Amino acid sequence: MKYNLELIKNKRKIFGFSTVLILFSLFGILFSTFNTSYKKPINLGMDFVGGNELRIERVCEEECSKFSPDLVLENLKDISKNKNFLKNIKLQFQNNNKLISIRTPYLSIEESNNLITNLDNIIGPLNYKSKDSRLIGPKLGKRLLTNCVTSLLVSLFAISLYITIRFDKKYALFALLALFHDLLIVFGIFSWLGIILSVEVNSLFAVSLLTIAGYSVNDTVVIFDRIRENLKLKKEGHNETIQLSVNESFRRTTFTSITTLIPLLSIILFGSYSLFWFSLALSLGIIVGSYSSILLAPSLLLKD
Amino acid sequence: MKRRQGWLFFIIFLLTLSVYLLINYPLQLGLDLQGGSQLTLQIIKEEGKVTKDELDAVNSVIDRRVNNLGVSESNLQTLGGDQLILELPGEQNPLVASRVLGKTALLEFRTQKKGTSTDLKKLQLQRLNIKELIEQYSSSEKSQYDDNFLTNIQDDLKEIEQELNYSSTSSDLYEKLIEIKKYVDKEITNLFIKTDLSGKDLINAGRRQEQTNSNWEVLLTFSNSGGEKFAEITKSIAGTNQLLAIILDGESISEASVGSQFANTGITGGSATISGNFSAENARELEVQLKGGSLPLPIEIVETNTIGALLGSKNILKSLYAAVIGLIFVGIFMILNYRILGFVSVLSLVLYGFFNLALYSLIPVTLTLPGISGLILSIGMAVDANILIFERIREELYNGNTLTRSIDSGFQRANSSIIDGHITTLLSCFVLFLLGTNFVKGFAATLGIGVLISLFTSLNCSKTILRFFTTYQSLRQKNLYLPRNNFSN
Repeated sequence: MKYNLELIKNKRKIFGFSTVLILFSLFGILFSTFNTSYKKPINLGMDFVGGNELRIERVCEEECSKFSPDLVLENLKDISKNKNFLKNIKLQFQNNNKLISIRTPYLSIEESNNLITNLDNIIGPLNYKSKDSRLIGPKLGKRLLTNCVTSLLVSLFAISLYITIRFDKKYALFALLALFHDLLIVFGIFSWLGIILSVEVNSLFAVSLLTIAGYSVNDTVVIFDRIRENLKLKKEGHNETIQLSVNESFRRTTFTSITTLIPLLSIILFGSYSLFWFSLALSLGIIVGSYSSILLAPSLLLKD
Repeated sequence: MKRRQGWLFFIIFLLTLSVYLLINYPLQLGLDLQGGSQLTLQIIKEEGKVTKDELDAVNSVIDRRVNNLGVSESNLQTLGGDQLILELPGEQNPLVASRVLGKTALLEFRTQKKGTSTDLKKLQLQRLNIKELIEQYSSSEKSQYDDNFLTNIQDDLKEIEQELNYSSTSSDLYEKLIEIKKYVDKEITNLFIKTDLSGKDLINAGRRQEQTNSNWEVLLTFSNSGGEKFAEITKSIAGTNQLLAIILDGESISEASVGSQFANTGITGGSATISGNFSAENARELEVQLKGGSLPLPIEIVETNTIGALLGSKNILKSLYAAVIGLIFVGIFMILNYRILGFVSVLSLVLYGFFNLALYSLIPVTLTLPGISGLILSIGMAVDANILIFERIREELYNGNTLTRSIDSGFQRANSSIIDGHITTLLSCFVLFLLGTNFVKGFAATLGIGVLISLFTSLNCSKTILRFFTTYQSLRQKNLYLPRNNFSN
C-alpha cells in the first residue's frame, strides 16, 4: 500500500486549516482572560490557587437518598470563620448520590476535619476509608504555578537547543513552529473547556504539555530526517522529494500515534477519574502533533 | 549468520534477575495508591534563603517530634531546599501531627521585672476574660447565635479593650478576639526579663496527672548546667513578689512564685513542672514538642493530602486494568500489521515491562499515579521505536532485499531517528525531574527510566529475538513478515 498525500497541491488548505485552529485557540484564551470570572488565560485548578477538595463515599443500604446541595451547604456555614467561605463552595453528588465531592477555599486541617464531621451528621454515615482530601495553601499553589511554568520554558529551551544543533536553522525553526502550534492548540482547547464546562487545569496538565512537546518534536524530527536523507539522493525535485518523504513516513507516524492513543483511550474510558483530563490532553496533543508533523511542518519546507 | 547467542543469554539472565528482584523486593506503592496522608511543610524565612544547615536542623527536630508521636512507618524527606514532606501511611489522622509539628516550641524562662505586680495582675485578669470570651464564641454553633449573644460578646470585648487601652482594627469578631489575646500575651511577656535558661537546657520532658484534680502537668528535666541555671534564677527571686514565667512561643503558659525557703540555694534537683490546666492531649503534645527541641525557623503546613486506602486501591486497579487492556490491543495491532515482527515486538515489550518494574524495586521508585502514567507513556515510546524499525525492514523487503539484509539495514537506518526521539524525551524528563514538584518527579522518573530501557530493548532485545527466530528456516518466509496482499503493489 502506497500513500499519496498531495502536499504540494494542498499547501494553502493546510495553512488555512492551521490558521483557523490557531485563531480558535487564541480566541478561547482571550475570551477566558477578559470575559470570565477567573480572568486567566486558562481556568487554573486548585493545584495552582490553593483550596480544599474532599471526596468521600456514603454508606447506604440500598439506594442513597437524595439531598439538595443547598440544604447541605446551609448546614456547613459554621465550618470557617471566613465570611466568603459559603460563596466559594461547590458541592456535587455523583454515582447515584453515593459519592460526594466538595470544593472549598483553603481550610486548616482542623476546619477540614470539622467539615467531614458536619457532613457525616447531615448526610452520613460516611465511609472514612474512601476519603480523599487535598488541602493546598495559597502560597504553595503560587509556587507550583511558577514551578510548572519554569519547567515548561526550560525544557522547551533545551529541546530547541538540541534541534538547532542537530539540524540546520531552517529545519529547527519549522520544527519549533510546529511544536508551538501543537501546544497552543491544546492550551486553547482547554481554555474553551474551562469556559464551557469549567474544566480546571492542574499540575498534570503542565506535565501533559511537556510530554506533547516531546512527542511533537519527535514526530517532526523523524519526518525531517527522512526528507534530509532523500534530498541527499536527489532523485527528484525539492518539493517532490518532500512530498515523497512524507508519504514514506506516513505509516510510521500514524501507527505510532495509534499505538500511543490506544492505552490513553483505554485510560479515558476505564481508568480512574484523576487521570481523565490528563489522558484527554495527551490524546489531543498526539492527534494535533501527528497532523502538524505529517502535513504542516513539511509544507512549511516547500518552496514556491 | 550469527545467532547473537551471547546477547540471548544475557537477556535471559536479565529476565531471571528481574523476576528474582520482583519476588524478593516488592514494589513500593505511593500513598495515593495504598492510602495515607501526606503533609508538605514549608520553612518560613523572612529574609534570604534557607541554608543547608537550617534545613537539616529543622529536619532533625521534626524527625524527633514525629518519632516521639509514635506514628508508625512514617517517612520524612526534604524537598527543594525549603520544604519537608511527611508521609503517614494508613488511616492515621494528620490532625494531631499537624498540631504538634507546626509549633516552633521555643521555651523560655523569664523573671518578672521589679514593681510590675499591679500591671501583671491587671493583665492576668484580662487574659482570663478574653480566654473566656473566645471559649464562649467557639464552643457554640454559629447557627445558634442570636443577636443578643453577639452583642454581649461585643460589649464584653469593648470593656476589655477599654481596660487595655488597645483596640483591634479587624472587622471580623473572631479575628478581633484572637488579636486582643495575642496583645495581652505580648504585654505579659514584656513584664518579664529574659534569662539564659531556655528549652536548649532540657534533656527530657514528661507528663503526669496532678494528684489533686484531673488536670495534667508537664515535667521538665534539665541538663547539669541547666539545673544550675534554674537554681540560680529561682534563688534570685525566692521570697520576693517577682514571679517566674515559663514562656512557650511568646505566650506565657505559667507564672509562679518561688517560696522564701529557696532563698539560700534556689530550687535544686534539676527539674521543674509546668501545671497550667493541661488536658491529657495538650500535655502530650507539649511533651513531644519539648522533647524534640524548638524549631530554628517557623514552619507552615502548606499542603495536606489524605487518600483513603479504599480509594487508593480502587485507583490503582482501575488504571492498571485500563493500561493492560490498552496494551493488549496494542499487541494485537502490532501482530496484525507486522506478523512475526509484531510478535517479536510483543516479546520485547514484555521484557521491557519486567526490566522496568525490576528497576523500580531496585532503585527504589515509589509507584504513584503519575508514575504509572509515565510508565504507560514510556511504553508508547518503546512501541514507537519498534514501529520505526519494522517500517524500515518492510521497505527494504519491498525493494527486493533479502530478509537478513533487510533486518540489518532496518535496524541501522532507524537508529538515528530512535535516538533523536529518545533524547528529546529524556531532556524533558531531566528538566521535570530537576524542577518539578514531588508529584511531577514521579512521572519524570518512570518516563525517564522507561526511555532508557526502551533504547536497550528496542535496539538490542528486538534484534536478538529476531535473529534467533530467523535461524529457523521455517520462519524465514517473507510472507510471515509482510501481509500477503501487499506484494501485489
